[in-house]
Amino acid sequence: MTTKTRYFVIASLLVLGVGLGTGLVAYYVGFPAGAAQRAGGPEELQYIPHDATVIAFANVQDVMNSQLRQKLLQALPMHEAGQQEFQNQTGINIETDIDRIVASLNPDPSNSNTPGQGLVLARGRFDEVKIEALMRDHGAEIEQYKTKRMIVVTHVREAATADARYPGQSFAVSFVEPGFVALGNASLVRSAIDLHQGGNNPQAGLSSVTGNDELMALVRSLDSGNVWAVGRFDALTSRARLPDSVTSRLPAITLFALSGHINGGLRATVRAEARDDEAANNLRDVVRGFMGLAKMQAGSNPSAQLMMQSLELGGTGKTVALSFTVPAEVFDAVGGALNNRVPKNNH
Amino acid sequence: MSTPTLGASALRIFDLSLGQMLWSRRSVFLGILLGGPVVLAALIAILTRTSLGAFRINGAAVGGATIFGMIIWLLYIRFILPILGVFYGTSLIADEVDDKTITYLFTRPIPRSAVLLGKYLAYLACTVLLVLPSVMLVYFLIVPVGGGSIAAAFPSLVMDFGMLIVGLAAYGAVFALVGARIKRPLVVGLVFAFGWEPTVLLFPGYLKRATVAYYLQALVSHEMPQDSAVSLLMQVFHEVPSVTTSLLCLAVIVGVTLWLAGRAVEGREYVLEQ
Repeated sequence: MTTKTRYFVIASLLVLGVGLGTGLVAYYVGFPAGAAQRAGGPEELQYIPHDATVIAFANVQDVMNSQLRQKLLQALPMHEAGQQEFQNQTGINIETDIDRIVASLNPDPSNSNTPGQGLVLARGRFDEVKIEALMRDHGAEIEQYKTKRMIVVTHVREAATADARYPGQSFAVSFVEPGFVALGNASLVRSAIDLHQGGNNPQAGLSSVTGNDELMALVRSLDSGNVWAVGRFDALTSRARLPDSVTSRLPAITLFALSGHINGGLRATVRAEARDDEAANNLRDVVRGFMGLAKMQAGSNPSAQLMMQSLELGGTGKTVALSFTVPAEVFDAVGGALNNRVPKNNH
Repeated sequence: MSTPTLGASALRIFDLSLGQMLWSRRSVFLGILLGGPVVLAALIAILTRTSLGAFRINGAAVGGATIFGMIIWLLYIRFILPILGVFYGTSLIADEVDDKTITYLFTRPIPRSAVLLGKYLAYLACTVLLVLPSVMLVYFLIVPVGGGSIAAAFPSLVMDFGMLIVGLAAYGAVFALVGARIKRPLVVGLVFAFGWEPTVLLFPGYLKRATVAYYLQALVSHEMPQDSAVSLLMQVFHEVPSVTTSLLCLAVIVGVTLWLAGRAVEGREYVLEQ
C-alpha cells in the first residue's frame, strides 16, 4: 500500500470515527441537534411545571387573521353574538386582545381518575380590573400568593350532583406580569408563579417543562406551525379510564406531536412515537391502508384529490409521521355547500 | 517453495489493487457521484437556515430525519449502490483484460480466483471508505434541519451503514460474476441494475426475489418515499422479507456469485486482442 493510499484510508476512517463517536455521545448523553441550540419552543414553557403530560400552543393572532378563518366566518357567522357577550363580560376581545396561548395538562396527584389538571398561559391585552370584578361577582375570592394576586374560585359541589371523579377543585386566574395571564387549576397557577419568580431550579424542587427532555425534544422537532401540541399518549390513555376492549385496540404509541399551520388552508403533521420498531411498522401499515382507501374515495373530486396527493407518510425507526395539506379549495367547497344549504332550510 | 494460500494471495492482490482503484480515473466519477449528495445536503442546510425556511414536500414541512431518509432511499439505495456495483464490479477482471495486464497476474504462482477475490475486497474497501463518510457528512448536515435530533436518528444511521456495506458487497459480487462471465458486462450490468430490478419490484409475484434490491429494502429503517407513481406502485406491492431472511439471502448471493465468478475466472481462457 502506498503512502498516499494509507493517508486516504486513515483520513476516511478518521471521518467515520469522529462522526460515529459524536453520534454515539449524542445518543447516550441525549444532546440536541445543535450543540448550542437553545431549549426551543415559546418562552411561556418555562412557567409550566415539569411533569406536564401534554403541552399545546396556538398563535391566536395568526389563526384569527388567517384567510381560513375569514372563510369559515363567512360560512358560519353565528358565533359573533357569543363572542360579543364574552367581550362584555370579561373585557377580552378574542379577535384582537389575545396574541398567543400555551396550555398544559399535568397529572393530578390527588386524583388518578381524571385526565389531569389544566393550565393556560396567555399573552395579550387584558382588562385586569374588569376581569377581577366579574369573577368576584361570581363568588371568586382574592388570595395573595407571594407578590401576586390570585383570583380563586373553589368548586364545592352539592353531594347529590357531585361526580366522585371531580372533588372540590380550585380554579384561579393570576396576572403574572402585564399582558401575561395564568389561568387554570389553582395549584398549577401557583407553580407558574413560583417558576416565574424563582426560575427553573431543580435543586430547589422547582423545575419547568423545559427540563423535561422527552417533551422538549418533541417541541424542538416541530416545524414552525402556528398551532401545535405534544404529549405522552400512554399517560393520557392510562388516565382516561377507557374500557379494556378499547385500550387493547389502541396503537402502542408512547408520544405524539401534532403541528399545523393555518392560513389559506391547513398544513399539518401528525407524528407518533411507537413503543418499538414493530409497533411503528404496524402503525405505518394501518396508516398506509387508510391512505390508500382515502385516495380511492377521493374519486374525481379535484379538491379532495389535491388533499390526498399531499398525504405523506414518513418517519424512521419508532417514529411514524403523516403530513397533509387541506387546501383552501376544500374550505371553499365546504363554505359553498353550507351557503347553498341556508336558503334551502329557510324555504 | 509452496504456493501461497487463497487468503494470503487475495490479500496481496487486495493490497496492490486498492491503490490502483483509489487513484484511477474511475475514482473521479466516484468522487462526483458521492460528492453530489453532500453538496445537495449542504445546500438544503444553508437554504433552510437562511431564506427558504422549513423544507417542504407538497407544501408540508418535513424534518431533517425524513429528508435524510429520502436521500438514503432515492440517491444511495436506488442509484449510487447499483451504479458503484456495476462500474466497479464488472471491471474487476475486465479492466485487466482491456489493459492486457491480466497475463501478469495469471502467471504468478497464485490461484486465479485469488485475483478476483483480492480485487473484490479492494472494491469493497474502496467503496465503503468513500460511501460511508459521504453518508456521515449528509447525516450531520441534514438531520439537524428543522430541529431534528442527531441523537434520536443515530441508531438509524448505524443501521444505514450496515445496510450500505451489505448492499455494496452484494451488488459487487453479482456484477463481479457478470464481469467474469459475460463479454459486454457493463451493458448487461446496467440493464440488470436499472431495468430488471426496478421493473420486477413493481409487480406482485416471486420475480422480485431474483433481485438484490428486494432483500436490501428490508434492511432500510426509513420509510420508502412516495415520490412518484412508480413509488406508489412499489408501496402497494411492498412485500418485505424479515431482516434475518434478507441477511441470509444476501449472504447466499454474495457467497454463490463470488464462487461462480471465481470458477469462471479459473476456467476461462482470456484471449487478449492485439
